[in-house]
Amino acid sequence: MKERQSTVQSMPVRPHVSMAVGTRIMSNALTRKLESYEPLSPEDRHALDALVPKVRQVGARVDLIREGDEPENVLLILDGFACRYKVLPDGQRQIMAYLVPGDFCDLNVFILDQMDHNIGTISQCQVVDIPRKAIDEISTRHPSVTRAFLWCALVDGAVLREWLVNMGVRPPNQRIAHLFCELHSRLEVVGRVADDSYAFPFTQTEIAETMGLSNVHVNRTIRELKALNLIRIKGRVLTILDVERLKDYCRFTPNYLHLRNTRWGERRDVAWPGQTAVG
Amino acid sequence: MAERRNVETLVVLQPIAVDTDSPDREGMLVLANGLLIALLVRLDTPEHEQFGQWFMEVGLGRLKGLRTPTFITLDEATRWFRGQIRP
Repeated sequence: MKERQSTVQSMPVRPHVSMAVGTRIMSNALTRKLESYEPLSPEDRHALDALVPKVRQVGARVDLIREGDEPENVLLILDGFACRYKVLPDGQRQIMAYLVPGDFCDLNVFILDQMDHNIGTISQCQVVDIPRKAIDEISTRHPSVTRAFLWCALVDGAVLREWLVNMGVRPPNQRIAHLFCELHSRLEVVGRVADDSYAFPFTQTEIAETMGLSNVHVNRTIRELKALNLIRIKGRVLTILDVERLKDYCRFTPNYLHLRNTRWGERRDVAWPGQTAVG
Repeated sequence: MAERRNVETLVVLQPIAVDTDSPDREGMLVLANGLLIALLVRLDTPEHEQFGQWFMEVGLGRLKGLRTPTFITLDEATRWFRGQIRP
């Protein structure tokens, strides 16, 4: 475990607000996420529960694995926020992804000789280390779980592409609004949104490092979104005051998240090899 | 041309009002040896972490796209620019 220096602590105050806004917590985050891609049987769910026998608590802003380390296990975030990042020799940091409850670092990460980037927590997290053997076993016996795992990998890639579009062509205000909409959708799936509010432990610096903007521009943009009555940030909780209006504002289209229970989800049913049809 | 190394870049600041779509509007054009190289803006919005400091809003030439520190005083900013733009 490696402590990381946090450059600036910003964003509104209050010390701690639990990530788990809803009542369903713990291993359910994984099951709920996978069920958003594939219908799972009680046996599938039982097998998934067995994947997470030992949960460890990790403090905020701690590295889980560093560039150059040899990956041994698959990391699963059960609660809290983590991120993937790289640091240039001059100290500048770029965050390339957020990991929210139910998210894995790459499922096939143990194929790599060494990590090409870092993964660190943003808030306090509940983390599970899943050995390769357990992933192999569940994949052999539970085809629905395997398909859901494949969805996870596809969607991770899709999110990365969307972030690339975000950084490349969306103006700063829409860029940040888009991130807030995406977090809303992803956290809702795993039961971490209540009344359009979710935990928001990010510092202004972390948002800047994610969006390729300066702290100053992040500050101005968030101020503008507040002034337009689109969002409120209080006590490390972000509330979207009008979800549809915020989505319109940044032209958020959730197709890239490929969730089953959305109007986009209906379009994505495919027959998998070896199957005649899929529900 | 050996003595040219001893010649310092002449950095001149010129006040200018700037539209940043925020209350930050007090600006300074930064000229180095007569060439416009950057635009500084004073952070006058109380929510800024670096409230009251000078921020490089735009950098030109080799300063383009740099994520720079903010400066507490204009003297500090001038010294920094002089260090960046060597003759």
